Amino acid sequence: MSAPVEITQCIESLLTAPLYGLDPKARHSSLLALLKIELAYACDRNPRFRNYVEHWPVHFHTADTIADLPYLPVGAFKATPTLALVDANEIKRTLTSSATTGQVPSRVVLDAETAKRMTKGVITIIRDFIGPARRPYLVIDTPENLSTQAELGARGAAIQGLGSFATEVVCCLRRDPEGNTSLDLEKLLDCAAKWREAEVLAYGFTYVIWTHLAQPLQRQGVTLDIPNIRVLHSGGWKRLEREAVTRDVFIRGVASVFGCSADRVIDFYGMVENVGVVYPDCEHGNKHVPAFAEVVVRNPLTLAPVAAGQQGLVQVCSVLPTSFPGFLVLTDDMAEIIDYDECPCGRLGTSFRFAGRVPKAEVRGCGNLETTRYQQGQGNGLHE
Amino acid sequence: MNDLMLTQEVHSPQEITCGAQRLREIARQKEIAPQTVLEVFEQWAAALDVRELREVPGLAFLRLWLRRGTLEPVLLRELGPDFLNGGWRKDGRARLRAFPLGVVGHWPAGNIEIQPVLSLTCAFLGGNGCLVRVPRGLLEITQQIMEKLQEVDRYGVLTERTFMVSFDHSRTNLHEAMAQAVDGAMIWGGAEAVSQVRKLPFPHWARVVVFGPRLSVAAMDAEAWGDRAERSSWCRRIARDVWQFEQRACSSPQALFLEFCDERDPDEFVKDLGEAFQEENRLHPRRQIEPSLTSGICLARALWLLEDAPNRAVFPASPDWTILLGRGTEIPKPTQGRTLSVLLVDDLLEVISKFDGTVQTLGLAVKSAQREEKLAQAAGRSGVDRVVKMGRMHLFSSPWDGVDLIRPMVRLVRHVRSQE
Repeated sequence: MSAPVEITQCIESLLTAPLYGLDPKARHSSLLALLKIELAYACDRNPRFRNYVEHWPVHFHTADTIADLPYLPVGAFKATPTLALVDANEIKRTLTSSATTGQVPSRVVLDAETAKRMTKGVITIIRDFIGPARRPYLVIDTPENLSTQAELGARGAAIQGLGSFATEVVCCLRRDPEGNTSLDLEKLLDCAAKWREAEVLAYGFTYVIWTHLAQPLQRQGVTLDIPNIRVLHSGGWKRLEREAVTRDVFIRGVASVFGCSADRVIDFYGMVENVGVVYPDCEHGNKHVPAFAEVVVRNPLTLAPVAAGQQGLVQVCSVLPTSFPGFLVLTDDMAEIIDYDECPCGRLGTSFRFAGRVPKAEVRGCGNLETTRYQQGQGNGLHE
Repeated sequence: MNDLMLTQEVHSPQEITCGAQRLREIARQKEIAPQTVLEVFEQWAAALDVRELREVPGLAFLRLWLRRGTLEPVLLRELGPDFLNGGWRKDGRARLRAFPLGVVGHWPAGNIEIQPVLSLTCAFLGGNGCLVRVPRGLLEITQQIMEKLQEVDRYGVLTERTFMVSFDHSRTNLHEAMAQAVDGAMIWGGAEAVSQVRKLPFPHWARVVVFGPRLSVAAMDAEAWGDRAERSSWCRRIARDVWQFEQRACSSPQALFLEFCDERDPDEFVKDLGEAFQEENRLHPRRQIEPSLTSGICLARALWLLEDAPNRAVFPASPDWTILLGRGTEIPKPTQGRTLSVLLVDDLLEVISKFDGTVQTLGLAVKSAQREEKLAQAAGRSGVDRVVKMGRMHLFSSPWDGVDLIRPMVRLVRHVRSQE
């Protein structure tokens, strides 16, 4: 069953509105009204979700702010059966998060309408940062992640989401029969020679770019000399932090191997549970919220929204999905609110900076049975 | 002032070995009478009654524990009346007397503020020297508590027997040095930590006693929760048990089994329980929280309500407390952070009989003494070590985890006279 016309029209109207230019009050009021309708729709479609919403301390019909609406923690998308608002025969694609070994990935289901909106959302946002032109698209990944499958991981979804900007697509990594990934340098150098004067788009996961492209090229002393390239990357900093690679080192290193300026290397924040909305860094290093979404940063002690300058748990909000209840999602990430409507880049709305994953709780205490009864051991042993 | 009394950051195994050697010599050379220990403890309890320590979780219990009135019965039960007087007791043609092991190493858990001190007191009562590894998060509070001991221990009889150390949990060589230097060990904590400490190279003669990891639950029969006059009082009691130690202690109730009854509405109980939680939160609000616990609480609420449409829950907009209501006989995975699963069951006896040895304490609210007797029997058979009244689940007493607290840290010497 498709979402009601009332919902689809309202979403469309926000998707075509000025991306970062709406009057803040009017924008909040439109989003709040639409989110309430979407919540009601989701409750009709899914009795489990309705049960959750009905137990929320504030009834969503009476909520005055988006922050008061019932949000789902991101881990809820790992629940079985998958949270869906459409019938199984309407599901066109299932997206899965990039879970590490042994972890259960999140799963979100897309019907045709939602999938279309997701693509449109990403394109609209990225266009604001790199311009509308189509251009050669360098995928810093293996061709396997380009294939169209019914079930798609976070990497594949991000790669394919940017496909609309492409005149041609080239993957510069390859996988050997043993499953090892390496850089196809010959192919990359050919492209670099061909694209020297061109506007080029490149995308890869942050750690993939660093491990499989930047480091090998630095070691070999190769500079690609593609000064008009825009390098988009996402997927988080956790693995690089472990290797003590800072954001600054990454940006300078990547810019140097491509032979472009550092401001052409753009980090964006996104997740499959909030698919269709990405948060690229502006030239001042801040992330901005588009017209069809909102970000609330919550104080972990109270879960109330924090003021500018404070850090907390990130809640992402989006009006785009109608096939799964991903309207209001509390993530396991921390962020700092920089400003509300005051970023010098001119984009209105909430601006924030990502501050890392929520630190894993230390396993400690005589009441902790994790490794015995519940068989989900973590941590590394001795006390504390 | 005894410098070993202040927690020292140690960097080398030698520091630990030397400190332990000094403790051993003191324990061997200077005998300390149990009555002297009790006397100092009594004064220590009084000294801890200060405003700056009143908010410390568990301090009220520690003060109660240190009282002669609490400890004398424990010593009498574990070691007999002659021990209190420092003498031998007859055992047929022989006689018996308790002597200290020597140096007892303490590995307290990082989640209970008073645990380093509680552990230490048990070994003191046996006349031992104590080498205590204080978890980093408890350094400040442990120091404050030990400073009060220093104030009252005028002759240094206990302070000279104490060496408090601190080092990073990953320093395996320091853990090993500590293990090699002790004659006995009291280990408290979670599954992984306990397993790691047990693997350390203790001398073959060392007595090792492990407390935890366990979890605890509460249970109420229909008559107890159905009695409107008593219900609020029971709700306040369970709230108190949940609040203490942020529900991270092995004695913290994670679930409350409520015996189902057609004539009574569990919603009424949950309403009263919600009010009790609200009031307890007003009296003892959180000052801080780990973001991962907030995430865990939000996830527990969501998964519970998304799992099954008949599941219910009551919680405020903040992560302050959570009541999850449903049916079921299995103990759910603990969330902690003041998250109580209230599970309706047809028969408490059936639930308790299914416990598998992980349950340490069963907090009970049962009207009929005869019924309680049956439930306590079943609990004992199913591995439960403590069956107590709801509201008193954290009252530290011996035996704990089914084990005596003082006796394992003494040697009972048997003397048969040569002339007989």
